[in-house]
Amino acid sequence: MAKQKAEQKADLLQGTLDMLILKAVSLGPLHGYGIIQRISQMSGEMLDVEQGSLYPAVYRIEQQGWVSSEWGVNDTGRRAKFYTLTKAGRARLEAEEASWDRLVLAVAKVRQAT
Amino acid sequence: MKLFKVISARLQGLLRREAVIGDIDEEMRLHLEMVAEENVGRGMSPDEARRAALRSFGNFDKIRERAYEVRGGGVIEASLQDIRYSARLLVKDKGFTAVAVLTLALGIGANTAIFSVVNELLLRPLPYPGAERIVMLWETTPEGGHQNTTSRANFRGWREQSTAFEGMAAFSDQRLSLTGGGEPEEISVQFATPELFRVLGVKPILGRGITQEDDRPGMPEVAVLSHGFWQRRLGGDPRAVGKPIMLNGEPYTVVGVLPAGFEWHIRKRSSTVRPAEIWTVLAMPTEGRVATRGRFLSVVGRLKPGASLEKAEAELKAIAARLELDSPEHNKGFSAEIIPLREQLVGNVRPALLILLGAVGFVLLIACANVANLLLSRAAAREKEIVLRTALGARRIRIVRQLLTESMLLAVLGCLLGLVFAWWGIQALVAISPSDLVNLQGVGLNLPVLALTLIGSILTGIIFGLAPALEATRLNLNDALKEGGKGAGGQGARSNRLRSALVIAEVALALVLLASAGLLVKSFVRLQTVDTGFNTEDVLTMVMRLPDGKYTEHRQIVDFFREATERIGALPGARSAGMVNFLPLYGGPGSATGFIVEGRPVPMPGEEPGTNVRVADPGYFRAMGIPLLRGRNFTDSEATEARHVVLISESLARRHFPGENPIGKRISVEMFEEPVMTEIVGVVGDVRYDSLVDEAEPTVYFPHPELVYPFMTLVIRTTGDPAEMTPSVRRELRAIDPNQPISDVRTMNEVMADTVGRARFNTLLLGLFAGLATLLAAVGIFGVMNYSVTLRTREIGLRMALGAQPGQVLMLILKQGILLTLIGIGIGIGIGIGLTGALAMTRVMSGLLFDVGSTDPATFAAIVLLLTLVSLIACYLPARRATRVDPLIALRYD
Repeated sequence: MAKQKAEQKADLLQGTLDMLILKAVSLGPLHGYGIIQRISQMSGEMLDVEQGSLYPAVYRIEQQGWVSSEWGVNDTGRRAKFYTLTKAGRARLEAEEASWDRLVLAVAKVRQAT
Repeated sequence: MKLFKVISARLQGLLRREAVIGDIDEEMRLHLEMVAEENVGRGMSPDEARRAALRSFGNFDKIRERAYEVRGGGVIEASLQDIRYSARLLVKDKGFTAVAVLTLALGIGANTAIFSVVNELLLRPLPYPGAERIVMLWETTPEGGHQNTTSRANFRGWREQSTAFEGMAAFSDQRLSLTGGGEPEEISVQFATPELFRVLGVKPILGRGITQEDDRPGMPEVAVLSHGFWQRRLGGDPRAVGKPIMLNGEPYTVVGVLPAGFEWHIRKRSSTVRPAEIWTVLAMPTEGRVATRGRFLSVVGRLKPGASLEKAEAELKAIAARLELDSPEHNKGFSAEIIPLREQLVGNVRPALLILLGAVGFVLLIACANVANLLLSRAAAREKEIVLRTALGARRIRIVRQLLTESMLLAVLGCLLGLVFAWWGIQALVAISPSDLVNLQGVGLNLPVLALTLIGSILTGIIFGLAPALEATRLNLNDALKEGGKGAGGQGARSNRLRSALVIAEVALALVLLASAGLLVKSFVRLQTVDTGFNTEDVLTMVMRLPDGKYTEHRQIVDFFREATERIGALPGARSAGMVNFLPLYGGPGSATGFIVEGRPVPMPGEEPGTNVRVADPGYFRAMGIPLLRGRNFTDSEATEARHVVLISESLARRHFPGENPIGKRISVEMFEEPVMTEIVGVVGDVRYDSLVDEAEPTVYFPHPELVYPFMTLVIRTTGDPAEMTPSVRRELRAIDPNQPISDVRTMNEVMADTVGRARFNTLLLGLFAGLATLLAAVGIFGVMNYSVTLRTREIGLRMALGAQPGQVLMLILKQGILLTLIGIGIGIGIGIGLTGALAMTRVMSGLLFDVGSTDPATFAAIVLLLTLVSLIACYLPARRATRVDPLIALRYD
């Protein structure tokens, strides 16, 4: 089943998870599962973040000071920890996006060269 | 700032481990519940929903572990783990740990102890304000003697004509007997000119110092007391000023008390062993014979700020030249010199201390080389373990960190033990230091020195721990696994070469140390076996000084001492008793008293031959075992009345009566106001009076009535232990005069021991270091050879399988070890000869050697033999292990 899925979905490039997490929380505070759902939704369900591997990444980002966390309650009344993008996190996101754009452009140019 | 936050978060993570793990668990549990809830929404049963959620989450435990690592634990926990693991390994490998820790500790301990002492002696400020400007002024003699005392007239000349000095003071130590108010006691008294306290920068805490007024004729005698004397004899009486004390039967008025801790004692040329406790006026008459004759003054001066030592000395020499022109009869050939105070006080120990410092540096180097060696061998032996761990997925940084933790742990243990050794070392140094070293009692562990040594050894731990760690983890896994137990590949060979180089270096350093120690030991033995001219066994000596006021007539003095020697000689246990004014090796006046021989042309003033002068009785020669070579001893009547007879020493007879019979010849020694001709009645053996090192000087002996001294040293030859005679001798003397003090009760062996004390100290220390170095080098050789045998197990097995005999295998290994040793010895001899040559040139070493060349071939040969023997023993154990290799097992090893 996992194999079938991989054919239809894009692989997550190493190092892009941080950017995706930052992007996800840039639109408003989210809890962990919410981040996964948001990424999936924003990618048109092409990107699936492995649920477990999210947490070490989020914690690392939090230690860097790019997001802050707070316990709260979600829309169904469940307790959850919510992550909010910080000012430093927004700057980081912009930097990562710019560098990503450059990479995409460069790769595209290489591919179009005949 | 950010780094700080990260660290504090991690620390908090470590401290609140439970809280953090709870937080993570909670978050993940809620996550799973949320997913499960969604799954139920999609129509799964609750059980199924939970299982699906768990499945989609991944490996829960592993993720939790990684999450925890990110949030906190990480580094510090891993370090604790490393430390626990390392400690377990070190405990398991007790032999290795003990050798490494002990090696480091010895290096650190020795280094810190010696540095602390050197620091105290050479670097600590002297206890006088502006001490760097205080210098000693001495005369140099026509015979090339240095640091000679000067005369009143010359001192006056220096003081009046020099411009480089702020102040200049002359002083001379004497011992006077103190009576009244307690036990009679001999006190060291310093006669000084009024400037002394100003030059030294000391102010009395009570009363005043000495003034110019005090030197005026008819003024009462004054006394300035040391703090110690004031406390001891006057109970620290705050109204002490103005009170009288009795010295040599005369009243002195106390005018001042000096602060605690003040001490002024220049041992060179001082006639007292103990520092002065009382200061009084040095009379400086401007007229008459007494003003010019007699060189007995030590002079201290304070340079003007900015005045250079060289210019001051040049000026002083110019003044001395003028004084020579003014009065050639006294100053012909004399000049002057300046010695900075620190050099005066510690100068003579400087070469020894510098050599010790070098020795300690060598020992520390050897210790570090050894530890490095041990770590390298160990890392090599653990190659397989490391490879295995790498293959199982351990990250390189983790393995390096673990190896590093191990060597750091070793370094820390070594440092702790080293601290203990340093403490003991300092106590031991203080305990065995010769009594004439300045104020060693105050030496403590020097903290900056300790810090430096600790940093040094921890660095050693890091560098030599890191090198093999990096080396081992750089291994190509495939190669290493393939090689397996063979270990004969490039890697093993390379680190083996490094280890061999370290061993060679160790042997070379040990050789240099052993050679220096060997030279000192040989000197010391020569010094001990020097023919002093007398027999030191079973001789008790003590000094008796008659108070001036009590026995006024010469007759009384002579009779007193005569009665004393007769009574003591008659005691049971006394074989013979005699007396002399100054014992051999005890100081006393120099050997420059002029004399003329009757019937020979009178030499020019200042060019008369010189001689030692001693006053003795017939019993002295018997008690000291000084042989009578020609003629006869003094008779009893000559010991009671002046009959104008003398005895001369062999060297005087040889030098001034070559080919003649001196008996019956008459000489006149310049000891009297009016020349007195005395007849030579006998020749006695030479005695080394000044020092063990110098050849015996010509000596003339007068009987007591001829040259009356109020103090004499009693010399008693006993049948048993001389020290046991002391009480009965004291009883006899008290029977003659209960108020008579005696002092310096010592056996002749003790006098000798004091004389060679410093030489013994140096020899003992250097010997200790050389022994240590040899031991460490042996450990190094053992380590390398032992490892080499491990590496060559397969080869040895093969050789044995092909028929090699155990003896051949033994030789194979021994040859390898001996080769290393011989290379080390070769290099060591090169360094040794170069170094001792260099040291001899700077007179550092030759000042410590006596009657031994600094490249003495016999010593070097003995050392080479010793080192070879030691390394043979160190190689033998691994070599024997090699002969026990079972070929079957060795070849099946892979």
